[in-house]
Amino acid sequence: MPPAIRLESVSKRFNGVAAVDALTLDVPDGSIYGFIGPNGSGKTTTLRMIMRILLPDQGRIEVLGSAGTAAARDRVSYLPEERGLYKKMTVRRLLRYYGQLKGRTVAELDPVIDEWMARLGMQEWGDKVIEALSKGMSQKVQFVGAVISKPDLLILDEPFSGLDPVNAESLKDAVLEIRRRGTTVVFSTHDMATAERMCDRIFMIFRGRKVLDGTLADIQAQYGYDTIRLRTADGAAVLAGVPGVEAVNDYGQLQEVRVSDPQGFLKALASKTAVHQFEIMRPSLHDIFVRIARPEGDGVGMPSAGTE
Amino acid sequence: MKNKALIVAISEFTTLVRSKAFIVGLLMMPIFSGVAIGVQKFTKDATDVKDRRFAVVDRTGTLFAPLKAAADEWNAGVRAAVPQTAPLYLPSEVTLDANDAQGLAALSDRVRKEEIYAFVEIPATALDPASTEPLRYYSNHPAYRTLPGWITGTVNREIVNRRFRDAAVDRALVSRLTRRVEMSELGLLQRDTSGAIKAAAPIDKIRTVAIPVGMMMILLFSVMSGAPQLLNSVIEEKMSRISEVLIGSVTPFELMMGKLAGSVAVSLLLAGVYVVGGLIVANHFGYGDVVRGTDIGWLLLFLLMASFMFGSVFITIGAACSDLKDAQGMMPPAMLLLMLPWLTWFAVLNAPDSPMAMGLSFFPTATPFLMLLRIMLPPGPPVWQIAVSVAITALATVVMVYAAGKIFRTGLLMQGKAATFGEMWRWVRTS
Repeated sequence: MPPAIRLESVSKRFNGVAAVDALTLDVPDGSIYGFIGPNGSGKTTTLRMIMRILLPDQGRIEVLGSAGTAAARDRVSYLPEERGLYKKMTVRRLLRYYGQLKGRTVAELDPVIDEWMARLGMQEWGDKVIEALSKGMSQKVQFVGAVISKPDLLILDEPFSGLDPVNAESLKDAVLEIRRRGTTVVFSTHDMATAERMCDRIFMIFRGRKVLDGTLADIQAQYGYDTIRLRTADGAAVLAGVPGVEAVNDYGQLQEVRVSDPQGFLKALASKTAVHQFEIMRPSLHDIFVRIARPEGDGVGMPSAGTE
Repeated sequence: MKNKALIVAISEFTTLVRSKAFIVGLLMMPIFSGVAIGVQKFTKDATDVKDRRFAVVDRTGTLFAPLKAAADEWNAGVRAAVPQTAPLYLPSEVTLDANDAQGLAALSDRVRKEEIYAFVEIPATALDPASTEPLRYYSNHPAYRTLPGWITGTVNREIVNRRFRDAAVDRALVSRLTRRVEMSELGLLQRDTSGAIKAAAPIDKIRTVAIPVGMMMILLFSVMSGAPQLLNSVIEEKMSRISEVLIGSVTPFELMMGKLAGSVAVSLLLAGVYVVGGLIVANHFGYGDVVRGTDIGWLLLFLLMASFMFGSVFITIGAACSDLKDAQGMMPPAMLLLMLPWLTWFAVLNAPDSPMAMGLSFFPTATPFLMLLRIMLPPGPPVWQIAVSVAITALATVVMVYAAGKIFRTGLLMQGKAATFGEMWRWVRTS
């Protein structure tokens, strides 16, 4: 099965600055594919090029097997980061409009609209004007607007941002349902926990270049078991001065520590304080992200060459 | 599967006709016309009826009496009318020596204190036909013309009568001998199918002027009600990032054409309402035959061209800007193009066959309005002028839509500062 999206050496520059630099990736058909990266790294530019909103300066993009600009347009739906809804339109009218622009008729759309509105608890909103809705409600409307045309590829730019846990959960369930129905889902997110839980594959872009691409297990395997999750009687303060500590993430009640010699570290720590929890593990996606993207690191946390 | 531009057009049309702005636009013309007529009627009857006391320094010594008699006659007429619709004129004679500056200054003070409204000086040489010395009217209400006009007319009538009398010439005979032969303006005689000659009909200003101007105004109002909304629509879509969602589904050109078509449909609807309403009113007053079917055809053609042309301009401005403030800065050149017919139609009305009228009706942004006016003013322009102006305007419309498409495609997703005219020109020139 050809990939849902294929990028080959795609580059895009703005005023001489490379927003995307020689990017190559394949998004497997039917997968949930996560795009992560710090602000300004090129995620949204990449998504816009996939959507043909922007055209690349170099390289080739194939979407659903087609490199043409219009061929797959009706089979791909897009949810931009900043919600695009007509404030004065009613919910149902707006959903019909967006669906019709994807080539569907009103007769085809109405039952699907009803189904999704019921699924997301929006049954009474059909006649409400968009500007009367809360942010979470608007995001649900936008999501429904993107899925009612039953796309083969769904691209979501930060779909969970600003949502409370309840709404985020219902949207997450909706994404999983979409994937179960055969749609390939690509979403960008800053929520590493969600990316870890939902994505079949994760791609990270940093300063316009790909730095990670694979399953979570593949990515974590590149870093080995170099992270200790621990809880002590004295908290993070006791870690100062313990030899072998490369980095500390302090979560208050527990810490995640990167060490080169876990056994040596345990011995040194146990001599200073009571250790209640000591778990050797692979780094979390959050930790990997920070290692790569932190300003003072300048990408030093990237996996070593030959491991991508 | 429906054409996507058509889907956009239907949505744009539906949104616009449901908006308050459309309802206001629909009612604007009849309300505006009604208010204008009503205000004129009201203000015509609502004149200032305050008494006008004025002093007369009659250096001839003989003209005050007839002036006073004329004032008495005037006042009798004013008092007889109920309600009073004009002021009473109350002259009083003041005797001053020649060059009595102090006396004139004292009269000026009385005007300032509002004891009198004005004063007039009749020179001693007023009755001399060779004299060029004028009457002098002093006041601090220079905008009020009725009193000085009445004084001038009354004094001159008496002076001319005296001159004729002194010359032993019968004024009435002179009036008869110098009576003007008036001219009545007629159309042309017609021959009917049997060869019989139909008499020429008198020129009716409503038929020949009011209705052509009315049709031009309908065209202007219809275009102005539809096209500028496109600017707001494009900016709203940019600011709300709706354009990103739309471009994921339609091409920029489809989106632009859909928006233009929706706007044209609104203008057509408005024009239709105005024309039908106008025809009903015209028919009621016996002018239902003035507007020919071909005139409606020309109106539709010019409406289409003007709507696409001006719609393209406003779409371009919206695409080049990211907020309304920037758009307002770009508006003046566009408004100048739109106002050109508004500023020049009267000159074209007075001389529809002049070189200026011809030249203006070849200028693309003015052609739809001014050529429609010229077509409806008898006898109408030569066919070649109509053909050339339509061809030029059609070409200009295509060029403007093409340029707008290029600018729209690039500017639609642009955020931040507005594009300069140089940048827009570059977008048009590059593929």
